[in-house]
Amino acid sequence: MTTPRLNPSDVMADELDLPFWRACAEERFLVHRCELCGRAYWPASCCVTHGAASMRWVEASGQGIVHTFTVYHHAYDRAFVDRLPYVIAVITLDEGPFFHSDIVDCDPSAVFVEMPVEVVYERLDDAWTIPHFRPRPD
Amino acid sequence: MNPSGQFAIVGLGLTKQGRNLGVAPRELRREALELALADAGATRAEIDGYIGTSSEMFDDIRYLGIGPKFAYTMQAGGASSILSLVNAMGAISTGLADLVACVYASAPTAGLLTRADGTRGGYGNFGYGYGRMYGLVGAAGAHALHARRHMHRFGMTSRHLGAVAVAQRDHASVRPGTVGFGQPITIDDHQASRLVVDPLRLLDCCRDTDGGVAVLVTTTERARDMKGRGIEILGVGCGHNLRNWWTGDAFDLHDDIAPAKATAFGQAGITVDDIDVASLYDPFTISVLMQLEAYGFCDVGDGGPFVESGATRIGGPIPTNTGGGQLSGFYTTGFTAITEGIWQLRGEGGATQVADAEIALISGHGGNVGVQNTWSHATMVLGVSR
Repeated sequence: MTTPRLNPSDVMADELDLPFWRACAEERFLVHRCELCGRAYWPASCCVTHGAASMRWVEASGQGIVHTFTVYHHAYDRAFVDRLPYVIAVITLDEGPFFHSDIVDCDPSAVFVEMPVEVVYERLDDAWTIPHFRPRPD
Repeated sequence: MNPSGQFAIVGLGLTKQGRNLGVAPRELRREALELALADAGATRAEIDGYIGTSSEMFDDIRYLGIGPKFAYTMQAGGASSILSLVNAMGAISTGLADLVACVYASAPTAGLLTRADGTRGGYGNFGYGYGRMYGLVGAAGAHALHARRHMHRFGMTSRHLGAVAVAQRDHASVRPGTVGFGQPITIDDHQASRLVVDPLRLLDCCRDTDGGVAVLVTTTERARDMKGRGIEILGVGCGHNLRNWWTGDAFDLHDDIAPAKATAFGQAGITVDDIDVASLYDPFTISVLMQLEAYGFCDVGDGGPFVESGATRIGGPIPTNTGGGQLSGFYTTGFTAITEGIWQLRGEGGATQVADAEIALISGHGGNVGVQNTWSHATMVLGVSR
């Protein structure tokens, strides 16, 4: 039995990040950037220097490196039993911000800190597509 | 202003702690409060402020039979306990109250914990935000993220983490009332325990327990006229890891401990060398190891060998979590550390009493919001009344 996958609206009550998720459906990866200083953030943010007025969603590379990760061997939520073992990683996007995701298309034991990764998309249904990350070829 | 020495903990009430007690949280709160009142030699009518720190949105205090001037609940995860005492100090210093009850109780193992998001369950499987879509569920996974960084940066090993678990279990094994009482473990037991969220093994993690705690705070002046053996609050401080999130250091630093330490130690007029006993918030072994480093008991990166050397045991340079902590004692979301600090300064530590303990370091941290280890960190320095 496969448990239905959670989509972004299941875990976030508001729609401030919706431009990001809409872009994912078109397989484009966005970050939220301050147009005054160029600093990138994720998710929707308020620039620590310039506030919210100049924040824009802009296209990003969809690439980064693994900052840290863990391999789940225990499902704290039954919905994830079928995926064990699975890798949860914090990725430092090339544009700067952290992005939490999983690492796919890779044996969990092959993941390492500073591993280069790139985005790969999974279409959940007509409304939602979510990004995952996989090892980036050299 | 420096609050050092102006406020005292004058009563401590701790109910039975353990798994599947089958007692409702509000009953645990009532029992804890009555034990604290008896400890202080105070009456229910004297409580004029109430601060709740269980994860419930509102504590129904009718069941406690009290009539305070204010009552509210607050939530900063495992920092809530210390911050509730800080709030009590603030209420007293602004004339709002004279005797404030800081109360915790929960029964997560009975499924009686109502969480901030309205769901029921234990502490271990909280999930928040986008990370939950991918399976970032529970505090263990979030703490594994900075454990991994520590391994990467300094060569920390699973055996280093195991040394924390073994030392604390040895303390609990001779402390009646703890989950680890009479059950010492070895480093081989730790290494044989299953991986749950690599690099954390089962014995790197604490378990939810049921129980209640109440701490009564008043002025040091008033405490002198009360029956309870007052413990002075010498310093408090806090820091927030969001500062380090912006700089990309949140996973390299356990919490924002530096400002919390500087404020609390500055108020108390102490250095790390003055601390006789440490009660560090310990949901996972990595937490103890990185806090020992961040507070300066050893160099950053040396926490593993430091603990392996026996430094945190009784007779070592800094006996730590002398009742087993949360890993092997009981889990009361931060009140475990406060309780042990009070007991040590009162000389009630039993087989793991630190001789002539006069100054205790207490820490708390929590509120990981599903993105990293923890946001809030709180420090408290306690001292015996002079």
